[in-house]
Formats: sequence, structure tokens, C-alpha cells
Amino acid sequence: MAVEQAYAPKDFKSDLKPIWCPGCGDYGVVQAIYRALSAIGRPPHEIAFVSGIGCSSRIPGYTTAYGFNSVHGRALPIAQGLKLANPDLLVLVAGGDGDGFSIGGGHLPHAIRRNLDLTYIVMDNQVYGLTKGQLSPTSVRGRKTATSAYGSLEQPINPLLQVLSYGAGFVAQGTPADMVGLTALIEEAIRYPGFAFVNVQSPCVTYGEEHQQMRAQKAVMKSLASVGHDPADYLKALEWATHYTHDLHTGVFYRNPDPPPTYEQLVRERQAELGRNALPRERILELFVQRTEGGVLADS
Amino acid sequence: MPIRDLDLKTLSLQDALDLATLIEEEARDRYEELAEQMAVHHTPGAEQFFRKMIGVEQHHHEELARRRRLLFGGAPVRVSRTMIFDVEAPDYDQVRQGMSVREAFDAALHAETKAYNFFVQALPQIADPDVRELFEELRDEEVEHQRWVQDEIDRLPPSTAPEGDVSDEPVGH
Repeated sequence: MAVEQAYAPKDFKSDLKPIWCPGCGDYGVVQAIYRALSAIGRPPHEIAFVSGIGCSSRIPGYTTAYGFNSVHGRALPIAQGLKLANPDLLVLVAGGDGDGFSIGGGHLPHAIRRNLDLTYIVMDNQVYGLTKGQLSPTSVRGRKTATSAYGSLEQPINPLLQVLSYGAGFVAQGTPADMVGLTALIEEAIRYPGFAFVNVQSPCVTYGEEHQQMRAQKAVMKSLASVGHDPADYLKALEWATHYTHDLHTGVFYRNPDPPPTYEQLVRERQAELGRNALPRERILELFVQRTEGGVLADS
Repeated sequence: MPIRDLDLKTLSLQDALDLATLIEEEARDRYEELAEQMAVHHTPGAEQFFRKMIGVEQHHHEELARRRRLLFGGAPVRVSRTMIFDVEAPDYDQVRQGMSVREAFDAALHAETKAYNFFVQALPQIADPDVRELFEELRDEEVEHQRWVQDEIDRLPPSTAPEGDVSDEPVGH
């Protein structure tokens, strides 16, 4: 039996009332985040939440952690800067599929290849909900929306396959239809030492279709653990990821069994290495004066 | 089972009482959240009903907390809210903007049924006879709660028409 956590889920809940539509999947996601953070046990002032723009990007305001509701698609660069400047902070990034895979799509591979210790939670609802239901990068072909009256002609992005191929060390998928599972995934993602990605199938109750809603998800979702998937098996993870849009698989697709050093660790090592060979300040000044002798500085 | 990091087989009476208290607390907090959602989204009938349910769950919470104090005083709590997930709290997908009062009652009935199912599923795993007795009592109380909600539903006028502003205009964007 575990002892009571130092910080209860309510300690991470701010006084700001969410204004998402009733029935929105994001209510469950934020609850899962509160619980995961409680299990992690770090105080709110040691945590920072960065988001872009969209319904789900409102999340930082609903937590007591430091928050930055930034600009569209730019959550990852800001989070990387933050983590690099203060590696002791636990940095989480939140956003939607439009924010992450469309306008912010160019930042994703670079954040992954740099491998900072960030947890990126994407609330993937396959539609632009905030702007009243346009096609998003993960909308399925044939999807009718405000901008595709006759059905989408585009192939959707497969976020799981994408982040796996870019080399993310932790890749998972959950849904608020399974709160126990989603909380465990977010907690595990936070604990992973490196870039961790959690795709959350968080339905849009207003612009989403019936088969995407939580009730429908509960009937079809299948955990990867129940089919015997080994999260250390990268090739199998790729195979399971191809099921995106057809089947709702939840759980950890891939967890690198031998996580490489994070970018911030390498930066610190480089700083220490260069610092050992660095010239003393007086010597730098001396060299500078020598080189500018006869120049402007020497005259003045 | 909507629980995590909790071994029902070794559950003590003190932990069981704390768990039951937390279940009621979770339900109360959820009704509070849902009432706020309804207030923001101009659905006053459902809001009023959810506010009433806050009081009901708070009452259950206080009853259990009182029993716990009598039996175990201020002994430290060893279970937490991170261990339970929507045991008696209505699901988020049970509500929508403009829902009718009847639909709000249905959400509560669904929540009470979930709680009943939890105790039914938990009971075969319980080893401690005192905990078993408590869980049987709580299971039976859930039946009473279901009956109460159902009676209230039966007294409602037959209309199921939604109320309030049902335009698709997202609020606050």
C-alpha cells in the first residue's frame, strides 16, 4: 500500500475554470495529468507547461505549474529553450494535432533528434475544433468538414509512425476513455529520460464524428499489452503504428531500452570540457588588448 | 477496475474507509466541475441538478469520514486520489451543452451504477471480513441511490427536449 503523495492531484489544479465544451476529451486528459504529476511528486513550482494555440493548448492555464500559452506551432522550440536554460525544471509540452503536426510540424523532427528531456502530449482530435471544424493534418481521407464539404482528398499524417521514424525514445498512445491507462502513460512518459511523446485520442464533442467519441472508443480500444507487444521492439512498434486511423491501440509503442544522453546533458558536458581549457579572464583581456594595439581601443 | 496501485486482497478496514471517503469526494468534485461546465454553457437545469448532487455526495463523504474518525482517529491516510478513477464520478462524456434535466439525471444514474459495479467486482477479492462487510453495505447503498435517482427520473415531466442555448457557438474563444 502506497503512502499518501506529497502533492495531491488537486494541488496541480488552478482556479481557472476550463471552458472546453462539455463532453470534451480534454477534461479527462487534464485530470490524468494532475494525477500523473501527483504520482511524480514534484511541487508545481518545479514544473513548466508550454503550449501552442488551440483548445488543448489552454491546458497550462488549468494547472498550478508555470505556464506559457505561446504562439501557434511554437511550443516545442520554446520548451527546448526553457529546458536548456533550466534543466532542473520538469518541462511538459501540450497541444493539438494541428498545432503539432501542421504549423508546428517542422519543429517536431528537430526536437526529437536533439532529444531534450521533454514530455510532449498531443491531444489528437483529427479536427481544428477551436476555429469551428476544419480539416486537420490527422483528419482521415473522405472526412467532411467546414473546409472539405465533399470529403477530404488528403492522406492523414500518422503521428506515431512519424515520431518513431524521427527517433523518439518513448512513444505511446492513450485515450481519456481509459483514465487508468492514460495516467500511467503520462507518468511513464515524464519519467523517461529524454524526448517522450504521448498521442492522446481526445475526441472533439462538437466537431468530431460519432465513432470518435469516448463511448465508441471504449468499445473498440485495445491495449498493446493485451496483444503481447514488447515496447523494446522498435520494428514491431513501427508495425503497430501503421494501424493508426484503423484501430485504436493504447499503451507504449516504443521505449528505448538504452536511452541515449539528453541534449542538455551533452551541453553541460561540453561546457565542462571547454571550461577546463578556458583561458583565465585576465589573459583574454591581455590578448584582446594586444590584438587591438594601434586600433581604436588602444587610442582611446 | 477503475483503481491503480491498490491491492484489494490486503485492504484493511481503515484503508477501505478512506478509499470509500475518497470515492465520494471524487464524485462530489466531479459534480462541481460538471455544474461549472453547465453554468459556463448556459444549461441551468442540469447545472441545478448537478449542484444538488454535490450536496448529496458531500453528505455521503461526511458520513464515511465520521465513521473513520470514530474507528481510527487521526491515523495517517495510506490511500490517495491517484489510486481511483471515476468510481462514482459521472463520466465526462455523459454531459453536453444544452442537455436536459432528464439527461443530467441519467448521468447520475449511470454514475451510481458504476459505483455499484465497482463494489460487486471488488468483493470477491476482499479477504478481510470487516472490509467485506463494509463493501457489502456500500454496494447495497448504491442500490438505494440508484433507486432514489430512478424515482426522481420517474417524477420528471416526459419531455426530453434539450434546454438552454444549443447553438454550436463555442464559448469563450
